[in-house]
Amino acid sequence: MRCFLSHWAALLVVLAWAVPNGASAQQRPAVPDSARLSQRRHRLADVRVHAVGPERFAVGSTRLELDSAVLAQYRGGNLADVLQARTPLALKYYGPGQLATIALRGTSAQHTAVLWNGLNIMLPTLGQNDFALLPVGAATSVSIQPGPAAALYGSGAVGGAVLLNTGPNWRPGLRGSLQADAGSFGLAGGSLDARAATAAVAVRVAASYREAQNNYTYLLREARGPVRYTLQNAALRHQWSIGPEVAWRVGLAGEVTAAAWLTDVDREIQSGVNVAGSQARERDQSRRLTLGYRHVAARQQWAVRGAWFEDIINYRDGGTPSNSRVRTTQAQAEHTRALGAHGSLRLGAEAQHFAALVDGYGTTQVAENRAAAFALLRYDPRPTLRLSANLRQAALPAGLAPLTPTLGLEWDLLGNADSLARATSHSLTAKASAARSYRAPTLNERYWVPGGNPDLRPESGLGYEAGLRHRLALSRAAALETELTAYRQDVDDWVQWLPSASNGIWSPRNLRQVRSQGLEISTALGLRQGRYRSSTQLAYHFTDTRKTQGTAADSDPVGVQLAFVPRHQASLSTDQHWRDWLLSSTLALTSFRYTNASGTDFLPGTGLLGATLGRTVRGPAGTSLLVLVQATNLLNLAYESYPGRPAPPRTFSASLRVGWR
Amino acid sequence: MKKQFAPLVAALALLAACSPKTEETPAPAPTTAVFVLSEGEFTKGDGAVSVFDRASKSLTLDAFGSANGNAKLGDVVQSMGVQGSRGYIVVNASNKVEVVNLPDFKSVATISGLTQPRYFTSTSATRGYVTEWRGTYTGYTPGVLSILDLSTNTVTSRVPVGRNPEQLLALGGKIYVPNALDNTVSVIDEATGTLTSTITVGDGPSSMVADKDNNIWVLCTGFVSYIATPPYVVQTSAGTLVRFNPSSPATQLKIAFPATSSPGKLRIGTDKDQLYYSFGGAEYRMSIAATALPTTPFIRRSFSGFAIDPRDNTVYGGISPSYNTNGRFVRYQATGVALDSFTVKVGPNGFVFY
Repeated sequence: MRCFLSHWAALLVVLAWAVPNGASAQQRPAVPDSARLSQRRHRLADVRVHAVGPERFAVGSTRLELDSAVLAQYRGGNLADVLQARTPLALKYYGPGQLATIALRGTSAQHTAVLWNGLNIMLPTLGQNDFALLPVGAATSVSIQPGPAAALYGSGAVGGAVLLNTGPNWRPGLRGSLQADAGSFGLAGGSLDARAATAAVAVRVAASYREAQNNYTYLLREARGPVRYTLQNAALRHQWSIGPEVAWRVGLAGEVTAAAWLTDVDREIQSGVNVAGSQARERDQSRRLTLGYRHVAARQQWAVRGAWFEDIINYRDGGTPSNSRVRTTQAQAEHTRALGAHGSLRLGAEAQHFAALVDGYGTTQVAENRAAAFALLRYDPRPTLRLSANLRQAALPAGLAPLTPTLGLEWDLLGNADSLARATSHSLTAKASAARSYRAPTLNERYWVPGGNPDLRPESGLGYEAGLRHRLALSRAAALETELTAYRQDVDDWVQWLPSASNGIWSPRNLRQVRSQGLEISTALGLRQGRYRSSTQLAYHFTDTRKTQGTAADSDPVGVQLAFVPRHQASLSTDQHWRDWLLSSTLALTSFRYTNASGTDFLPGTGLLGATLGRTVRGPAGTSLLVLVQATNLLNLAYESYPGRPAPPRTFSASLRVGWR
Repeated sequence: MKKQFAPLVAALALLAACSPKTEETPAPAPTTAVFVLSEGEFTKGDGAVSVFDRASKSLTLDAFGSANGNAKLGDVVQSMGVQGSRGYIVVNASNKVEVVNLPDFKSVATISGLTQPRYFTSTSATRGYVTEWRGTYTGYTPGVLSILDLSTNTVTSRVPVGRNPEQLLALGGKIYVPNALDNTVSVIDEATGTLTSTITVGDGPSSMVADKDNNIWVLCTGFVSYIATPPYVVQTSAGTLVRFNPSSPATQLKIAFPATSSPGKLRIGTDKDQLYYSFGGAEYRMSIAATALPTTPFIRRSFSGFAIDPRDNTVYGGISPSYNTNGRFVRYQATGVALDSFTVKVGPNGFVFY
């Protein structure tokens, strides 16, 4: 109890520190994009060839969006960097450029689906994503959809989903920017984002390069006293990403899109500072191609899409290679139509084929097919009451996955959430959703030699959440949006690898039930006065996640907070613009995290402060020059991001961006 | 500037205050101590030696850290040897041997310049031996026996042996090194520090003991290969228990195990007339006079570490439920009846009685 109170006290202290930023509030409301809570106006095809996205069927859920202004600040970095700085989400992180996985709402790395333009890009072998392999600049929008409503995205969306979208800009003309970065510990990189459009064709190319030595020093406590060493074998040798895409309008209602995303990362694998002489290296390459067509009419739309992915992970340590290559071919088709004046229905199906050539599976190629069908219904009986009901059924090689229904509700109790334009407004919306979800067994879980278990059942989740969303326009110059969500998420048949008692072979089995419950609070304040505007976001997550039940073979204790899930996390970020200046600051607070299942060893809590200072200089003919200086871990806190992995000390980087339009 | 950060520091302090307290236990009393070796989780650097005091039943979880200002012992604590009042802790992934004073575990020195060290033994206060592997898991090459000068804690010379040399044995002026990825035992002469002969035994010799008649027993695990379906592993050659007299090593008693599982962890009782080994998820006991394997287990349990306390014949078994859960050890009477159990760090794999 004492502990709980002191966390609140900690939060209040931070609040008190943050509030003076927003003292002088007048004039027009400026809602920060990154905090804007999804506005759900019910309309089909309000813009020409503007399709209805799947989020329209996720009524009653929270959605955290990182807008383009925030993404632009981090465009040289990876998704793990931006999420750690800007959100109170838990990531298990082995160091800069090293493996980074997410634990959304206390679930495991395999319980967050990652989608690129609506296609699941989780590695089929591991069933998870390394967020260090996803450069920020590749996407034009990043949103995180925690909770059960994400179940509509299919396998793996138990804790939620991360949605990466790209899209061409249809504004005619040529625009773009070219950026060069340099920073501490051998950081160097560059990126390009170029777009062009005519009335019929729009093109975008995003490309980036990054390398870093990560040769910072750290103190190791040895018997003779603390000794300072330089981190070895931790370099990011190169990280390439290139994503060209083209959209072509066909007739009045059709659009063909083709997109590719190629990433190539060569990195040294930091094995922990107590492991001597490791020379582990990994090459991660992903090639993702997609081609789609959609037809959007006034009362209906349909879309078909095909995709081909190739994911390569080649690991080697001291001459020992372990190679893996998986090719995924998939097709999706969906039809959406309006139901009367208040509803819409989407019916769709998808199929995936995996072909895996993985050293760990033996010498032969392993193939697997999966398919799913879904029906998504959105119905708004009144403008102030919005409902959704979805159903998804997947077929897996070992049989049918659990049928996963999703229900959602939003009800405007006060004011109208849509009336953003009103000078003084006050709105309150109640929201709730519930869903079943599932995770298909990964290829490693089914085919690894030895131990792969083809009889593994899919994990199944059951989640509920409810909350309130409040929006207050204090005056024409200030707007405050607050959202409060409470949730509970149960996962049954949770898979765990355990050694056999008779021969010690590790094998995955459906062993346990895990319950995660928590509270998420976020508030965002937007201010605007003259040539000054600012946005401030404060968020706090309380996450309680424990094994509630297990089979006799599962010896991990019941009732202990799962490893690497902090119970308390808070983040505060401010972005202040004045004339051509930008000043941003971020603060991420994390309470201690257990590092083993017994709940005895832990990493202590951390507080990480970051800041960005920028100045834009306007040039002739629509050109501009932006100078950005960024600092992370400003307090120079010495901490481990994972046991045996010292995190970087205070680091600086500088970027120069030339833009044109 | 400083003032600006004050609330932040206060908030941090409040958060930090909530970290759970590390357990504190009193220092062990000498002569009734049992050192319990826990490997720790690979790459986390959290291997430890716990000190269990059998008189008070108290436990110091991380004796090295407690005695040395919370210094980390290292990654994968593999084994430990004792010479006089010195302990030699072999830390495999950290490529070192930590030398500590006993019983207080104060650091004396660190022996570096080793690669994949496995087991330690010594024949005097100045002479020690460490087996080391070479190569990696898909391509192991012949390993070495490093000869140590324990007065300077340095490696003085290296003797090439077979692949994956394991639990060595010093007997009668010779060092016997079982090469676990071959079918041989390398014999090194103590006086000259050179390889004198190589004895062929069964496939996979990994642990050895000497009995009261000065016969050497070598437990060979046999070789396995892995398959895609349960039980996922097949013996490509069966395990064997081999006995020979050092004076005529070619004359051997060989007892074959059923080709259903790999035997391991050969130990010998206090009177040096009872052998102990693990097989098929259970622990067996066998007289040195026997010519066939026992069919009934001594303890029906799979242990990650096993030893018998020569002071009172208490049996110690280590339990490792998973890679990221604390392990424990169970104590048994000499008859195999369980006494009690205690929680230690991840992966208890061995016991040293001091």
